[in-house]
This record gives sequence, C-alpha cells and structure tokens, in this order.
Amino acid sequence: MASLLQPDRVLYLVHGEKKIRSPLSTLYFCRYCSELRSLECVSHEVDSHYCPSCLENMPSAEAKLKKNRKRICNQLNENFRCANCFDCPCCMHTLSTRATNIPAPLPDDPSKTAMKKAYYLACGFCRWTSRDVGMADKSVASGGWQEPDNPHTQRINKLIEYYQQLAQREKLERDRKKLARRRPYMPLAFSQHTIHVVEKYGLGTRLQRQRPGAPITSLAGLSLKEGEDQKEINIEPAQALDEVEPLPEDCYTRPINLPEVTSLRQRLLQPDFQPAGASQLHPKHKHLLIKRSLRCRKCEHNLSKPEFNPTSIKFKIQLVAVSYIPEVRIMSIPNLRFQKECQVLLTLTNPVENITHVTLVGCEEGDPEDINSTAKVMVPTKELVLAGKDAAAEYDELAEPQDFQDDPDVVAFRKSNKIGFFIKVVPQREEDGDVTVSFKIRHDFRNLAAPIRPSEEGDAPAEAIWLTHHVELSLGPIIA
Amino acid sequence: LVQERFLPSQFHVFSANSCSANIAAGAVVCVESEIRGDVTIGPRTVVHPKARIIAEAGPIIIGEGNLIEEQALIINSYPENILPDTEGVEPKTMTIGINNVFEVGCVSQALKIGDNNVIESKADLGKNVILTSGCIVGACCQVNTCEVIPENTVIYGSNCMRRVQTERPQPQTLQLDFLMKILPNYHHMKKTVKGTSTPVRN
Repeated sequence: MASLLQPDRVLYLVHGEKKIRSPLSTLYFCRYCSELRSLECVSHEVDSHYCPSCLENMPSAEAKLKKNRKRICNQLNENFRCANCFDCPCCMHTLSTRATNIPAPLPDDPSKTAMKKAYYLACGFCRWTSRDVGMADKSVASGGWQEPDNPHTQRINKLIEYYQQLAQREKLERDRKKLARRRPYMPLAFSQHTIHVVEKYGLGTRLQRQRPGAPITSLAGLSLKEGEDQKEINIEPAQALDEVEPLPEDCYTRPINLPEVTSLRQRLLQPDFQPAGASQLHPKHKHLLIKRSLRCRKCEHNLSKPEFNPTSIKFKIQLVAVSYIPEVRIMSIPNLRFQKECQVLLTLTNPVENITHVTLVGCEEGDPEDINSTAKVMVPTKELVLAGKDAAAEYDELAEPQDFQDDPDVVAFRKSNKIGFFIKVVPQREEDGDVTVSFKIRHDFRNLAAPIRPSEEGDAPAEAIWLTHHVELSLGPIIA
Repeated sequence: LVQERFLPSQFHVFSANSCSANIAAGAVVCVESEIRGDVTIGPRTVVHPKARIIAEAGPIIIGEGNLIEEQALIINSYPENILPDTEGVEPKTMTIGINNVFEVGCVSQALKIGDNNVIESKADLGKNVILTSGCIVGACCQVNTCEVIPENTVIYGSNCMRRVQTERPQPQTLQLDFLMKILPNYHHMKKTVKGTSTPVRN
C-alpha cells in the first residue's frame, strides 16, 4: 500500500508568520531556536550559479564586481547564461555538437580536396539542427556560435543605466531619512529592513547584509559612490508615431503553413526577437541554475548550505527536520465507518541516537490549531519510548534486544528505532472527503549544538527540552 | 561480407511458430525472433532477437536495409470490430519500404510505411496512419490519426508536437554492416531462401 506512505498524508504544523502545514520531509529544524521552519519562513539566498549541462561554476556577479570593477564584465556572465551550452529553440532541450566530414579545398593547393571536420548543433529530442535556420557549419567545436544581436541593445542599456542611477538616488534619500530618525536606537531593525526589502528596478544580486552596529560604513560607501557618479545620464523620451505599418494584402487569404508558425512558448523564450516563423528561431545560450542556502529569519543561522562544487549533491550544513523530529507514518487503515470506532496502525521513527520519550495528546475542544479534523481520535495515554537509532545494529548479532515492556494493546511491534502503535478513530462526518485526525506529539530533544558553558562542564552533556508538534493525518475516505 | 549460418533442421529449438517466412538472401534474421504468417523480408535487413513480426490478417512485405530491433512488434492485425472468422474480409497487405529503423519496443500497425523512417523506442503507430518518407516518430508517441504524415515530419514530445525537418534521417548503413557481421557470431540465424528475388512492391 504505497499510497499510505505518500508524504502528504501526515502534516506537521509550523508556527511562523503564517501557520503552514506540510510534510516533515519538506521542513527544516532550527536547533538554535528549537522550532520547525518551512520554506516560507526562511530567507533564501543565492550561493552560486552553475550550468546544468556542463556543470561549470560561474562566479556570482557580486564577487566579480568586487574584484574587477574596471574590467568589463563578460556580457554573458552578467546575463546568467552559460558560454558553452545552447538550448534548442524548438523544444528547449540541450543542444549537442555533432561533426561531419566535408571535402574542402586545401589552403595550399586549391585543386586537391581534403576531408575537414565541420561542426553543427543538433537536438536529440526534436531533431532540430542549426542548418534548419541557415546557420553555417563551424570549423571549431565550441566557441564559434554567436547569438544574433538585438538591434535595440544600445537604447535598452542606456535606459537601464538611467533607471539604476535613479533608484540609487532614491534609496540614498530613503536610508538617510531613516537613519536620521532612528539614530538613538540600535540599528538591528535597519539591517533587517535592508536585507528583505525588494530592491527597485533590480540592482542586481547585491545583498545588503549589514552587521548590526555598522550603519555608518554603509552610508559612507554609498556617499562615495554618489561622488563617483556625478555625471547625469539623460535619455530621450520615446516618440509616438501616428502611422503604423499596414498589414500585408494577403493577410486573410494566404494559407497558413503550420509547421512554420512558432508556438507561444518558443516565441516568448526569445523576448528580443519573438520570431513568428520557425526559420528565424536561433539557439540561445543555456540559462544558469542556482545553488541556494536557507537562513532562519529569527536567529540568522544557516539551515541549509550546499557544497560549492556543482557536481556534489551533499550539504555543508543540513538541518532538516527528519533528522531531529520523530516521524509519524501511517501503516495500515481498516475500513472506516461513520461513527464506528476503528483502529489505525501508525509508526513512529526516532531519528536521533539517544532514547526518546514521546507522549501523544489529543487536541482539546476549541483548539485554534485544530481546524481540519473530521473525526475524534483516542491516542494512547502512556508514554512511548523509542530506542535510539543505531547504525551498527544490523551487523551486531550478539546485542541483546532491549526490553521495554510494551503494552500489547498500545504497541503493535517494535523494530530498532521504530514502533508501531494503535490509535482509535471515530469518524464524525458522513460527507465525501478524507477523514482527518489531529493530535499533538510531545517529545524530548537534546540540543547537542548548543555551546556548553564552561561553568557547567560537569553536568550531563545536554539538557533535554520538551517540544510539542501538532500533527494532522489524512486517513482516506469513509467506506460505507 | 555476410556470413550465413545454415542450421541443421533438428536444431530448430524455437520452431513453435510456423516459419513460412520468405527471407531473402542477405538478410540477417535471428532465430529468437518470432515471425508468424506470410512475411517477406528483403536483403540487408536485420531482425534482432525477440522482435516480433506477425501477419495475422494479411501478408507483410518488408523491404531492404531495415533495422528491426528487440521487442519491436510489427503486426498486421484484424480491425477491432471484425472477428477473425468473418468471411468476405480481404486480407490487406502491409508494406514497409527501405532503410527504416524500428527501435526497441515500438509497435507498428501502420499498413504503409515508406522509406528512411525512424520509429523510436516505445512509439505506437495505429492502423490508420500512413507514413511517407523521412518521418521520425518520437519515443513514446502514440499516433493513430487517419492521415498521411507528410515527408520529413518529426513527431516528438508528450503532446506529439510536430515539426518539419529539412533533411531526412540518414540510413543506418554503418550500424547495419556492423550487425550483419557481429550478430551471427552470437545467435543462430533463420534460414534464408536462396535464389529468390524480393517481390516487387506496389
């Protein structure tokens, strides 16, 4: 019954700005705040860019700007596209370079011909080739392919410069006003505002990460820049035309050649040209993907930090919830009947290495978190003990099984760090839809990450704190 | 350059199917392939083991230089609403041209297939389609519309999008030569008919 193991059957409630219910596998656990975090209550930061097909790392534009201000940035890297790889304009798959042998006259002796290699781009999925749009074969395997130039590039660049300058000026004024008002206060609020506010006109990936206690340096940096960019950039306003090009005369009578018409998706992926005909679809360089790191908004600690190398899928920091919080899973559901008591078998898995004590508590009447449940649930009242996760247990044959003295009415089975237990469910509503129950899990958590104060070195390694989570289970429809 | 292996008839292990196939000299047809009914196979055609060519409702004529890979199914079957025993049903001939490639796991029931087509893996051609030349039916595409697919069409993608390519797919001569040399080293071949010429296609 693989459908019972689907992750969205068991949801954990996350207390953040919004109350979010999502499966434990998608949540993170901040062990400094000792709270669950979901993707919506963490801040996402871009670590690095990489090309998904050649797996080449591109240094972020910020690093480049810091080091080489005077050197002209590689146009392609600023657009976040790979220099070597291309996308098929027809089906967006990655293009591969193929070689053919063509006879070509030798440069020394025009009468003799030798076989020379000619390269062209081809798509393995839709069989598009660069010859279809009339691009000539190149004699070098890579680096010979150019994207066609946009005739409006100059005007667009000038407009971008003008608006960037305008945005910087507005920001300076805004920050100066704010600092003048809040001077007596610690600028912690100031730093948080600058991090999370969306920059106008997108000044790039420059993060305004100011450490609290150093606002003056930031202003100093900005004022220096203003001194540099004293020159004003003027733009000519766009001119409106009265006459528009008329439609061709055979616009309504000409039969449509369907294979030649580009689809909307193909057209809009090339916003510079938006060609209407398939013979003008040129390949574009491949867009880069990002590696992102997550940061808790309250304590500013990193929750997830991937490795820098694009070929590695590991993490330097990986504080995912499944490695700290016991996970509830549904094992088997009997036929659910309206207002009849049914026994559902659940499993509870302990992810940490020490023994965990778990108490289950049903939700009280009028619990504000309990909005979705459609059935009454009776959870076991006794405390459940989960053995620690022992990676070597399967190889250790001589180990004696620990004796936990389980009540057979409550605990169905026990297997290393997992137990199966029963809950009783009485569906209260006869309508269509899933039977949903919710209860609270209370378990002890030892924070091994918290720094041990030197005066308490003689104490136990870590104190246990009790965490409570609200869990919702979706048990499926009522079978009449 | 083609090594023909002639099996003594008592070693025909997989002769559960009646081998009334008309295999021209020069074709390489593995014994593990299943050929049922009235099937004619032209020279330089390679039929891999576990390919199935089944002529139920009429004969199948396969031309030269075709490549039929493993688990491909070419079947001339009865239309759905007609029982096999109905009388008065004329057997329709399925014709397949030259230089076609039937990749692994494809199913073809199309009655007329031209030259230089490629039917990619797990594609499904119904009875109503007619392929001309140079068409490529993409992997996992199901095509059963009542139409003649124009030349050099490529059908690709989960929605069977189409486009026209400028050049037809190249015939797989290198692959065919390689297979005709290597396959007899590892498989037994079905007997070919010596001396008969390939019947002329209409």
